[in-house]
Amino acid sequence: MKASPNNYPEEAALVIREHPEVRASVTGATLNFDQNRRKAYSEIDTEAWRVWAEAVKNHLLTHLDGYLRQAEASLVANGVQVHWAEDAEAAQQILARLVRENQVRTVVKAKSMLSEELGVNPLLESLGARVFETDLGEYIIQLENEPPSHIVGPAIHKNLEEIRQVFHRHFGTALNETPEALAAVARKRLRDAFLRAEMGISGANFLAADTGTIALIENEGNIRLSTSTPRIHVALVGIEKLVPRFSDLAVFLSLTARAATGQRLGTFVSLIQGPRKPGEHDGPEQVHVILVDNGRTSVLADPEAWETLRCVRCGACLNACPVYRQTGGHAYGYVYSGPIGAVLAPGLLGLEAAKALPYASSLCGACFEACPVRIPIPKLLLAWRSRAVEQGMTPRFEAAAIRAYAFTMTHPLLYRLAARFIRYLPDQVLDNRVVPVVKAWTEGRAGLKPSPKSFRELWESGEAQ
Amino acid sequence: MLPIVKDHILARIHRALEHRPKSELPAPMPVEKITAEETLGRFRDRLSGNGGELVRLENVNAARVWLDSFTKAFSSAACGYLVPAALRPGLPELPAHQAQLGVSWALGAAAETGSVLMSSRDGRLTQLLPPTHLVFVSEARLYPSLSEALAALKTDLPSAIGLHSGPSKSADIGQIMVKGVHGPGRLVVALIGDMGP
Repeated sequence: MKASPNNYPEEAALVIREHPEVRASVTGATLNFDQNRRKAYSEIDTEAWRVWAEAVKNHLLTHLDGYLRQAEASLVANGVQVHWAEDAEAAQQILARLVRENQVRTVVKAKSMLSEELGVNPLLESLGARVFETDLGEYIIQLENEPPSHIVGPAIHKNLEEIRQVFHRHFGTALNETPEALAAVARKRLRDAFLRAEMGISGANFLAADTGTIALIENEGNIRLSTSTPRIHVALVGIEKLVPRFSDLAVFLSLTARAATGQRLGTFVSLIQGPRKPGEHDGPEQVHVILVDNGRTSVLADPEAWETLRCVRCGACLNACPVYRQTGGHAYGYVYSGPIGAVLAPGLLGLEAAKALPYASSLCGACFEACPVRIPIPKLLLAWRSRAVEQGMTPRFEAAAIRAYAFTMTHPLLYRLAARFIRYLPDQVLDNRVVPVVKAWTEGRAGLKPSPKSFRELWESGEAQ
Repeated sequence: MLPIVKDHILARIHRALEHRPKSELPAPMPVEKITAEETLGRFRDRLSGNGGELVRLENVNAARVWLDSFTKAFSSAACGYLVPAALRPGLPELPAHQAQLGVSWALGAAAETGSVLMSSRDGRLTQLLPPTHLVFVSEARLYPSLSEALAALKTDLPSAIGLHSGPSKSADIGQIMVKGVHGPGRLVVALIGDMGP
């Protein structure tokens, strides 16, 4: 079955049934991330930080046109070449031109979710360029030709044994190698790529409008290298990634790291102001920023969903989500998975194409509690669901059943008749789940056992007093 | 790129925001006030918590003595362009991708996150390619918060700043922490109390 958001129910069931190891790996990793996040949050006045970050992003988004103009001017003043892309195809065309013009044969990539969204790797390969994902997790899944399953930990669905087998198949390493030895194999191959590559491609965690600073967070050093060794650096930047001021970066960088991995800051942060300046001895000669819309302006126009544009892609909501934990990200059939994916996908792809995802939640609210920019994900999940109903995207039977339920619950006489009727149903019906339409619900639950008398009857006969 | 694309995007944003109430920009978050002693203690704790090592040296002379002893374990070094002559290691110099040790000069440090702030003017490859990274930084440039450390650089930003807060690491292989994945597997920060005149 082709991965697509609306295949979520089938894909999720498939993962749980056929690949129990995925559930074990993802649950282990996300619980670990989530525990670290809680510890890192407990060290700061988290509510004050979250409220502040939400306010800064709201200000940015409600003044986005002005800040984009300012950011472009700052970038140009720094010697950065700025490109604007309406959609994935336009971004690909810009990138293709840069690759051809500069005769790029080897590309090193720093982990970027936007590059996944835009389909950068297949494009580069079609142009004959050799592409190396340089984040260790991304490198592993690139070897296996898989998409990332988590915003921050792209390979968390694989356990050590599986990764040993991947390295064994590709590089002939022993099946009992230590993680250190496997990492050393990747380091050596990627070190050669860093020194050979003509182009490095990154995303951006933030772009400060006043100084034109591109900010990138990581732990391995691969992003610093991807933006330092090649002669060309291309940063793919979603238009929502801006922050107004350079001085906003300190809090956003630390808050994002705390939310993502429970660190006070990523081990390495790059703050890039442009190509190498006179007197500097290394660094790229060209820096390009591609500002990408790809559906973001439509989301901005949405009176509810616009709040998703505050997202800093930390993955904290994935780690906190009891539903994501069962399957990992692949079942969602989209670049962005978990709670944030479930509210972003209908906005970026259109509700029809992603209507199954807002249902991939128990509405427990853990995602909102974890979110560093207070995106009201549970509220948005409900908003998308009610729009799906309004637009007739749900099964007709479901809509009719809910209408009938609502009608009964708001008409006391009908309610009383219905309640009495249930008491006269034979046990068979209630116990053996012969009502086929609710099988999925009843399968995991005990049968209904109505009390012999209703509360009202007990009250009227004095038994309830 | 054609300016028309930019105009289309900006026009759509303008339309999207037409009826949206504008949000105000909040003032910067206040920073915590702590003493110089607390700052030093916090820097030490947090850098070492991140897996980095801290050495505190009274002045340049003490730094020289310490450096000569520290570099005995290495046979080659790459050295940053901003490192003062008195602090250059007496080792054969090699290009960064061949050197065992990289020696750099930091623009500043932040206790809040246990970070040193590296400048592209010093040379990026020295900061990234050798397996061990030694960073000298003046204690006068140690700030309590990351905000203050960054603010001190804002008027004269180099083309790239790297914040280094510990050794390169990854838990991408089965959630087991591995050091030295791409960048240096060892970070040693030497804080110099008095840089002299």
